[in-house]
Parts: sequence; structure tokens; C-alpha cells
Amino acid sequence: MENSSIIKIEKLIKRFSVGKSEFTALNDLSLTVERGEFLGLVGPSGSGKTTLLNIIGSLDTPSQGKVTVIDQSIASLSHKQSAKLRNRHIGFIFQTYNLLPVYTVYENVEFALLLQKLSSSVRHKSVMDALEWVGLTDKVKSKPSMLSGGECQRVAIARSMVKRPEIVLADEPTANLDSKNSHHILQTMKDLNKELNTTFIFATHDEKVMKYLNRKISLEDGQIVKDEIIQHSKN
Amino acid sequence: MLSLKLAIKNLLGAGLRTWLNVIALSFAFVLIIFYNGMIDGWNRQSKRDTIDWESGKGQFWHPEYDRYDPYTIEDSHAPLSREILEEIEKKNLAPVLVSQATAYPQGRSIGVTIFGIDPKQTILKLPTATLPASNGTDYAIIGKSMAESANLSVGDNLLIRWRDKNGTFDAREIQIASIFKCDVPIVDKGKIYIAIETLQEMLGMENEATLLVTGEGFEFRELNGWVFKDNDFLLADMEKIIQSKKVSGSILQALLLIIALIAIFDTQVLSIFRRQKEIGTYIALGLTRAQVVGIFTVEGAAHSLLAILLGSAYGIPLFLWLNRTGIAMGYAEDMEFDLPLAEVIYPYYSIRLIIITVIIVIITATIVSYMPARKISKMKPTEALKGKLQ
Ligand SMILES: Nc1ncnc2c1ncn2[C@@H]1O[C@H](COP(=O)(O)OP(=O)(O)OP(=O)(O)O)[C@@H](O)[C@H]1O
Ligand SMILES: [Mg+2]
Repeated sequence: MENSSIIKIEKLIKRFSVGKSEFTALNDLSLTVERGEFLGLVGPSGSGKTTLLNIIGSLDTPSQGKVTVIDQSIASLSHKQSAKLRNRHIGFIFQTYNLLPVYTVYENVEFALLLQKLSSSVRHKSVMDALEWVGLTDKVKSKPSMLSGGECQRVAIARSMVKRPEIVLADEPTANLDSKNSHHILQTMKDLNKELNTTFIFATHDEKVMKYLNRKISLEDGQIVKDEIIQHSKN
Repeated sequence: MLSLKLAIKNLLGAGLRTWLNVIALSFAFVLIIFYNGMIDGWNRQSKRDTIDWESGKGQFWHPEYDRYDPYTIEDSHAPLSREILEEIEKKNLAPVLVSQATAYPQGRSIGVTIFGIDPKQTILKLPTATLPASNGTDYAIIGKSMAESANLSVGDNLLIRWRDKNGTFDAREIQIASIFKCDVPIVDKGKIYIAIETLQEMLGMENEATLLVTGEGFEFRELNGWVFKDNDFLLADMEKIIQSKKVSGSILQALLLIIALIAIFDTQVLSIFRRQKEIGTYIALGLTRAQVVGIFTVEGAAHSLLAILLGSAYGIPLFLWLNRTGIAMGYAEDMEFDLPLAEVIYPYYSIRLIIITVIIVIITATIVSYMPARKISKMKPTEALKGKLQ
């Protein structure tokens, strides 16, 4: 069973130096995530949610402890190896969408695939599939500036999903969206989670997110204070 | 890998700033080609004129002769062999006898060089055919600038005084038969052309010459007692001086290029500063930092491609037009140029010049784009994603 865990965190400590002193953002945190989980990190501002996502996504490194993501130890990865891990296996979704403004919807989604040596026809099919998942096939040629916030976030989801990663890390994906769009986005991700068995990890304050989660982890001061499995009657 | 298309999109997305950079760089690009094309055109024209008027297809010199040392002239003369005379007859060689003399236009005295030349020659453009045969009067032709500096017109008599082969002074009046216009100063300034037979007689050097100009029809071979000087030698100094104009002109070009490059550098610094979030996003998408540096470098370097396109858009019509009409050199004629300078110069744009300029523009733009982009590799992706100031 141990081997099927997609993320394994043992005694993780993350410290930031602030001026001369140090600040401990994650304090002796241990966590195991299985494939296909739809997991939420909740907790007050400053509790360490983003920091944890960044370390899982190999954008940052642990100060201490062991973090294993898809059988790779985050602390020991070179720049190149961590780039490859992100490019092949991890998708990111940000609160502010982070789309590339001069590219079209299509190009934004395609960009994630450009690093992989794929033929353009395979690429085209993947991009169109991803845009279909999020229901944006009619906006292929639009620029992000022409889209609504909800549509932008759907493009970002398509971009994170187009390479069919094992893990998607979403930091406050609904924070800038109204309720209707939030539900739409969450439903889309939930569908992808079921269809492709992609592991989703959210950092969120948003109550709307809660009812979609099947596991909720509460953080406070860099520590896990609660870890709940949520059973949905539907499932 | 990551296409140039995306880089250009990003650049065009930046709007006016990009265009200002591109316009500045295209000016530098066009100016470099224009200026060097003009020098190259001048060089080619000067060479052609000098060949036409002075050097022919090369010259045989008397072994003692050195055109830069007037003291050698006195001893530089030798009789013409039968072989040479035959070639002269066939217009494959033109003999020239040279002598120093003093001329007295309106009582002033000026040092001149007298060239005795075969009036029947057709190798050089010198209008020697306008030299009437001596009929008690001896005739000379001179160039326009010589005529102006000595205040001489057609029909005027000019007193000249020279030393014959025995060193004895002699003097005579000669009449100006015609005045020619020639762009090659060394053909014109301080030179008097008379029939070679007249000069031979004046110096007492029957059937002798100082040098032989070769023509198109001359089949090259060694001539006993004469030293061949090819055009690489004869035109070397002129070429050197003209090429040196390129160096002096390159200061302005370099300045313009540097201004354009500074603008690109500045844009790069600003765009890397402002687009930290985008940089973080690239890294989150799985690009290595080196690849992100690459994206920004290509983007900055793409300025040069746009500049080349824009430069071509107005440069090509301009160059074609200048090539047809030439560039009027106006009053430059009055200046103390020792170089051949035509009234109109037709610039010459070689493929080599264009390729070199394109390469310089692309390489320098790439360098100034790369320098600020290197900073990206020191950024922390988490900070970049926040768009924090560094
Ligand atoms: N680079 C850094 N240097 C210093 N301190 C940092 C740095 N990054 C994060 N921190 C601190 O670590 C703590 C956790 O930050 P983090 O961004 O993970 O919180 P969060 O739970 O995501 O909060 P929010 O809900 O507001 O996004 C905060 O107190 C923050 O100030
Ligand atoms: Mg956060």
C-alpha cells in the first residue's frame, strides 16, 4: 500500500529567514496523499497552505524532513529534474490564473505541451480535448483579456490538465470567482478527477470548495490540526 | 523549441515600446548599410576611374622609377625595344615619358610634372587625340583643376623650363590645346600632358619612356628591363585611404547602434522586472530557468529581426533609388581631396556587406537581450510567482 501513495511527507519543516531571525512556516508536518484524492488544505491566512503546495510542486525546497512526490525526493532534485517533474507530472492552478496575455487561449494551453516532443497533430488533439473538458472550444482564438474571470480560470485548468498530470495543485482557484463560476470550475475539476484519476490538492478558504472535497486537512501555524475524510452520499 | 513566433508575439504585445526600439535599431541597420555601401561604391568608382585614366591594366616601370619620389624621375628612362614598339603599334601598350619641370603661368612659378604620352593611344581615357601635332607650336592638354589653379584656358601659352638629359636648362612656350575633366586628382593636379615625341625631343631622349601602360589586349609577359606593377600595387594606397573613411564613419554608426542597443537593454530589464509572475508561471509549467532565460533572450533578439524587416521596408526602396540617381557630392569637388571623387557616387551594396550587417545587428541585439535575462536564473520561482520586487 505504501507504494501507491503519490505524495509522502515526513516531518517537514520549512523555515524562512526574515531579516536576521527565522520564521517557521511549516512545523514538523507529516502527510500521505493517495492517488485520486480530491484534497483541500484549509486554514487561516499565513497557516502555510501555499508554502506546502510550493514544496509539493517542487517550486521550493524543504528546510528539513522528507518530501516524496511520485517517488522522487524533492530535496534532492536538480533544477532540471524538478522542471521535468513539473512539466510531466504536476499541473498548477493559481488564484490569479497566470495566463500569458499575448497568447490566445489555444496557445496558452498548448504552451504546456511545447516542451514535450509531440507531433503537432497529437498536440492539437490534446489541446482541443482539454478545451472541451472545460467547455471553451469556441474561444480558441480569444486572448485572455477578452475572457471573463471564470473563463480564464477554465483556460488555466485546461492548461494544467492538457498534459494529463498525476497531480494538480490549485492555490485558491476560486478566490476571484463568483459563486456560479466557482461551482462550474469545481465541478469540472471533480469530473476530471474521476475520469482521469488525477490527484487534486487545493489551498482554499472558500466554503464552496468544501462540499466537493473528499478529504479536508486543516492547517494552523504550519501544523496539521485536523485531517478529515469526507464521505459524500453520492459517491 | 519554443518558437520565434511566440517571441515576436510577446514583443508586438508590448506595443509602442517595441516599435521605438525597432525603429532605432532599423536606423542603425540602414545607416550602416548606406554608409558602407556609399564607401564601397566610391571605392569601386574610384578604382574604375583610376584604371581608366591612369593605371590601365597595370604598368611596366623603369626599374629606377618611383612615382612617390620625384628625384628618381631624372634617371628613369630607357629606350623602347622592337617588341615594345610593336605592342605600342597594336595599342596594347602606351609609353609614357615623365619629366619634372617648372611652369610660369602669369609670372608665377609652379612645379609641374610633364607626361609625354602617345597621342594615338587608346588605353587611357586621357583625350590625347585632342593633342594637335606640333607645327612649330607645341601643344599640351591639362585637367580642369590644373587649369583653374594655374588660371589657364584653351589657347593660352605657358612657359615651361626643364632640364634635358645632360642637365642643361631649356625653356619653351607651349599652348593649351584642350582642358579635360577628370575625377582622379593625380591625373589632373600639377600635370601637363604633351605628345611623347615632343617631350623626347625636349629632353634629348629619342625613343625612350619612363613607363608603359598596359591595355586590354596586352598578353601578359615579362618585358626585359622593365618591372611590372599590377593594379593591386598601383591602387593600394587609394584603396587604403578610402577604406579608412569606413573607420571614421563607423564611429557614428556604432553610436547609433549603441543607442538602439541600450534601448533594447532597458526594455529587457523593465520587462523582466515587470513580468516576474509570468516567469514564475513558466517555471511552474516546467520550463527550466535556462529555458526561461532563452525565451527572454530570443524575445529581445527578435527586435533585430523586426528591425531588419522594417529597415528593409524603407531601406530597399531608398537604396534602389540612390542606386539609380546616385548621391550628388556637390561642392566636395572643391575640397582638397586627393582621392578620386566623382560628382555623383553610386553606392554599391554587396551581399557580403548586407549579410555582415545583419549578423552584427542580430548578434549585438542577442547579447544585450541575454545580459539582463541572466538575472532570471537567480530568481526564486516562489518569489517570482508572487511578483515580488527583487
Ligand atoms: N519567502 C518568504 N519569506 C518569509 N516568510 C514567508 C515567505 N513565504 C511565506 N512566508 C510566511 O510563511 C507563512 C505561511 O505563508 P503561506 O503563504 O504559506 O500562507 P497561506 O496559508 O498560503 O496564507 P494565505 O491564505 O494568506 O494565502 C506566512 O506567515 C508567510 O508570511
Ligand atoms: Mg496562500
